[in-house]
Amino acid sequence: MTVALPEQATRKYDLGFARWVRDNVNGGAKMSMCMQCGMCSGSCPIGTEMDQGPRKLFMMIRAGMKDEVFNSSTIWNCTSCYNCTVRCPRGVPVTYIIQDLAAKAVEFGYVKKVENARFAKAFWWSAKTFGRTDERLMTAKYYFSFGLVEGMKRGLANLKIAIGMVRTKRMHIGMPHKIKDTKGLQAILAKAAEIDARESKGGA
Amino acid sequence: MTDRKPGVYICKGCGIGEAVDTGALEALASGDLKVPVGKQHDFLCGAEGVATIEKDVADGLVNQPIIAACSQRVMTDQFNFDGAQTVRANLREWVAWAMPAGEEDTQMAAADQVRMGVAQASKMDVPEARVEEGLNTRILVVGGGSTGLNAALEAAATGHDVLLIEKTGKLGGWGAQWSKRMPHRPPYRDPQDNNVSSLIEAVQGNSAITVMTDTTVAETDGMPGRFNVKLANGSGEKQETVGAIVVATGWRPYDATKLGHLGYGASPDVVTGVELEGMLANGGVKRKSDGAVPRTVAFALCAGSRDPEHLPYCSSVCCGSSIKQALQIVEADPEAMVYIIFQELRTPGTAEEFYRQAQEAGVIFMKGKVKSVGADLTVTVDDELLGQEIPMTGLDMVVLATGRVPKATDPDKPAAEGGEEQLANDINPVAPIARAGEAEIATPAWSEAVPEGGPILNLQYRQGPHLPMLADGFADSHFICFPYETRRTGIYTCGPVRRPMDMAESAEDAAGAVLKAVQAIRSAQGGMSLHPRVGDLSFPKFGLDICTKCRRCTVECPFGAIDENEEGFPELNATRCRRCGTCMGACPVRTISFDNYNVQMVSEMISAVEIPDEFSEKYRILILACENDAAPALDMAGINRHSLNAEIRLIPVRCLGSVNMLWISDAFQRGYDGAMLMGCRSGDDYQCHFVKGSGIAEERMANVGQTLQSLMLEEGRVRSVEVSIADSAKVGKMIDEFVEEIRGYGMNPFKGF
Amino acid sequence: MSDTKKFTYYPGCSSLGSGAHLDRSIRAIAPKLGVELEELEDWNCCGASVGHIEGGQLANTSLSGRNLAHAQQQGPQDIVTGCAACYLNTHGAAEKIKSDVKLRENVNEALGAAGLKYDEDRRVRHVCEVIVNEVGLDKVREAVTNPLDGLKVAGYVGCQTVRPFAETEGGGEYDTFDDPQFLDDFIEACGAEAVEYDVKTACCGGSVSVMKPEKTLHLIKKILDAAVEADADVIATPCPLCQTNVEMYQDAINKKFGTDFNIPVVFYSQIMAVAFGMDGKKDAALDQNIIKATKLEAAAK
Repeated sequence: MTVALPEQATRKYDLGFARWVRDNVNGGAKMSMCMQCGMCSGSCPIGTEMDQGPRKLFMMIRAGMKDEVFNSSTIWNCTSCYNCTVRCPRGVPVTYIIQDLAAKAVEFGYVKKVENARFAKAFWWSAKTFGRTDERLMTAKYYFSFGLVEGMKRGLANLKIAIGMVRTKRMHIGMPHKIKDTKGLQAILAKAAEIDARESKGGA
Repeated sequence: MTDRKPGVYICKGCGIGEAVDTGALEALASGDLKVPVGKQHDFLCGAEGVATIEKDVADGLVNQPIIAACSQRVMTDQFNFDGAQTVRANLREWVAWAMPAGEEDTQMAAADQVRMGVAQASKMDVPEARVEEGLNTRILVVGGGSTGLNAALEAAATGHDVLLIEKTGKLGGWGAQWSKRMPHRPPYRDPQDNNVSSLIEAVQGNSAITVMTDTTVAETDGMPGRFNVKLANGSGEKQETVGAIVVATGWRPYDATKLGHLGYGASPDVVTGVELEGMLANGGVKRKSDGAVPRTVAFALCAGSRDPEHLPYCSSVCCGSSIKQALQIVEADPEAMVYIIFQELRTPGTAEEFYRQAQEAGVIFMKGKVKSVGADLTVTVDDELLGQEIPMTGLDMVVLATGRVPKATDPDKPAAEGGEEQLANDINPVAPIARAGEAEIATPAWSEAVPEGGPILNLQYRQGPHLPMLADGFADSHFICFPYETRRTGIYTCGPVRRPMDMAESAEDAAGAVLKAVQAIRSAQGGMSLHPRVGDLSFPKFGLDICTKCRRCTVECPFGAIDENEEGFPELNATRCRRCGTCMGACPVRTISFDNYNVQMVSEMISAVEIPDEFSEKYRILILACENDAAPALDMAGINRHSLNAEIRLIPVRCLGSVNMLWISDAFQRGYDGAMLMGCRSGDDYQCHFVKGSGIAEERMANVGQTLQSLMLEEGRVRSVEVSIADSAKVGKMIDEFVEEIRGYGMNPFKGF
Repeated sequence: MSDTKKFTYYPGCSSLGSGAHLDRSIRAIAPKLGVELEELEDWNCCGASVGHIEGGQLANTSLSGRNLAHAQQQGPQDIVTGCAACYLNTHGAAEKIKSDVKLRENVNEALGAAGLKYDEDRRVRHVCEVIVNEVGLDKVREAVTNPLDGLKVAGYVGCQTVRPFAETEGGGEYDTFDDPQFLDDFIEACGAEAVEYDVKTACCGGSVSVMKPEKTLHLIKKILDAAVEADADVIATPCPLCQTNVEMYQDAINKKFGTDFNIPVVFYSQIMAVAFGMDGKKDAALDQNIIKATKLEAAAK
């Protein structure tokens, strides 16, 4: 849980949001070093699928354009290739910032319908429940998060792949893979969430 | 020289012996050319080779050794002989290394090099120095800001007496009014203590430096070694003599009242960077409106700079000084929100560290252009990345980082009579030259660029009272190649009057200008030339018997070295002269000459070349190459083994300004098929070592067409090209293309006449 | 093998599914390279590139924290993993915890809920980095008994195996971000030919390819195009997600772009197992590739 978001600035530079990002987003403290050179956007393999690109996204953060940032497709199409991060001449961990902005977008309810949010939900369900990613169950959960019909459709579209995976023993049929101490793990994750909540209040 | 004793010495080393038949060259020298001494050596610049020449000189056999070996630019010490005058014929870079070995055309080129060397010797004399006794060695420094203070200290440190004058009542200039300066020492991270007060103390405590405040220059006359300067202060005028002058008049901020669109005047809390400095130095930043300490401050960079409506150039210092001010604000109040709105942040060198420091301290840098600032301090930013105009509100103060205007003129003085017109000409180094008897040529675009105010030194030169300037009103200094050279020998500018620079750069600049001043004084004492013909003892001599008093030499001299005397004849201000020969090139009756460089000498060299007859299919192209850039580029072409066309014949000249059009008509009458002039770039980014020489040549070339037409020859047979020192790979191709064109015209029909 | 070096081995979730053949072949070749792998006790998921979204940063880091705590209990040896994402997350978490006192405090408070603690520092390494820095190419060459003469391999490194840690001190400075050489070196050490392949660090789309392949198929196509261009028999990669994405989407790409790709995509460890003269199925796990690497299979003993 994170400190509450500042009000949305409307077409007006407002450092409030930039400061919130600096204090609350993973890697955000380094964002002030950005000199808007554009190396990140130029290095991005999937810029064509982004409405803004990292450079512009950072500028929008400085301009206080909170809603536009969280609704931007940029944060959802990052492939975590880390090109921008290793090439940034100012050492800004661009990937971390974009990844965490995605998490914050979910936390603040911006993106219920985005695939990534569903995928992340399915992923975390598996990690939390079994301690491990069960690719088969997670994928099924992800597909069916779109609803029964869409889930069937997505499943069928990938049926051939699934059959291939099963045949080559890269997808198993049967009980999910589980760690031994699922209880312990769940206690850890619960405690972590509790600490997060406590800290964000303290920081607010 | 009464008794010429030439001797030809041919070197076989460095591949020359393999490329050409040196025996045949030796035979040519002692045979057809009737040179009494002709020798060849395997390794002429070695001890044994040099000893051979030394012995011939000592024995009185030779007093003009003609060294047919490498370029005139190398081995100058080895081939310098007491009591003799050396002539160089370049067989290495321009023949052996650039043309195919063993071929007839290569041999012909080598033979012509020897012929030209012998011809050159026949018209050369050892220059007699013109030395004046009792010259003054004191250095006048004009301007008592940090640049001038540094200049005074540097000059005193070289052992010269210094006269430092300052227009205001106090030393220290802008710097004395500031609390901190930009970092100039590692780690280049934090604003540093301002050291101007210690500079002032050092100057005041130095017995070699005389300081005069409240003083300006009323008039300057004379030349290096004896400038007569009339100084004016409240109590009257005073005459002083100095050997050289350093101008460090600095800068003033651009007039912010012209920046109404940026809110200046609309709100008292829109201030300039200079005003903010005043606050920082006097108890901290406070709003003028209510005395409150501002918590949210925006800096608008490039306020009036890089703006065609205001200052078209980058003032260079404002990025750094704004970062400094922003850091000072954040240091005083870490919670203050400081924005710097920039178009391109320019933090060269170590200033990059300073930039990072500010980012780490939380100063927010935004890329965009400030469109407007309202009376309520709303700053509208044209955000380039977002593609929107975005307002910034809730600000307590807006700081305009206004640019810097050079003080190459004194805005408090009235404009000098006629000065403006002359300055307009001066500002444009290629402006058409007004000539006696010719219609005045209007230069409206340039005259608009003339800064307001009167001349700093009020020079009593025929070129006008001002320091020469470039387009934006900065004092001209050969900015591409030789930063401290001006067009007024013995007068050097430094600091922000020359280009925008910060205090650290200005201090270095002051040292550079002082060293030039010292060099000017010492060269004047020795009767020698300054840069670029350092140490040349020759000077122009005027044959007054045939002088028509046309004044071309006095008008065209880039350095004001020639004045007219009462009778209207040219008169030399010897220590202003740089020996470029522009006067010689200008003289329509060819009566100006140097002992070691004259119209007849080059004419003889042109004539010495053997022109094959019209059935030979061998063309001959004359190339007159400036010795400063073009000739070295041709040398380097040889060194890099780029080929040079074997039909060219190269003669180095001091400057294209020295090229007399007679040489061109000589060449065509002798049967050359084409002629090419190679010189430096002209224009306001000129590279001419003598500032105007190549531009002047360009103009003279305009008239050469008529000469060619009168000879029934095509205008295209003459061409003038710009060659920079970096063009070694290109120069051969430029020549090849020209030769191809000449072949298109066919041979010169004058051959054999 | 004379001296054997012991590591705590973290196979990661893909070892139980899509990347089972990576795990199998790594376990097979390790002894030949003088590496002893002891599996990390009750290891859990690393969080991959999406764990923080639903779980939050601290919970996500605590996933790695639990693994690190178990590794600490298990002994002083370094942790090693063959999975790019596991490496990225676990290495990244270990480095962060090392330098951030507050984070270590919070992670340990969370771990306390299960009676665990992580108060030392464990180095988390990638198998490829261990082969470069610890084993050395000479030892790889020594282990080769079945050189793969004539096999043309496109070495596709992908992203996270080298970025963002390959050039860092903590990451062992084992190669470069943009033009890594190690994979080509491995291929050549096995006697095969590493073809010129300039898309070696291009991106396969990562998890975006899993959730919305329509946005990333063109990226994978670039990787395939270059391999065809280079006349490669097989693409080799160190990354389980790269292997799966580049292999299983070839049908979809063919459908979308009208191409006819059918290029096998294997792990470097499978190539090594074959070159080391080991069993093509049991050790090299070539039976687990959907697109059969027929040339490699033919070479296998």
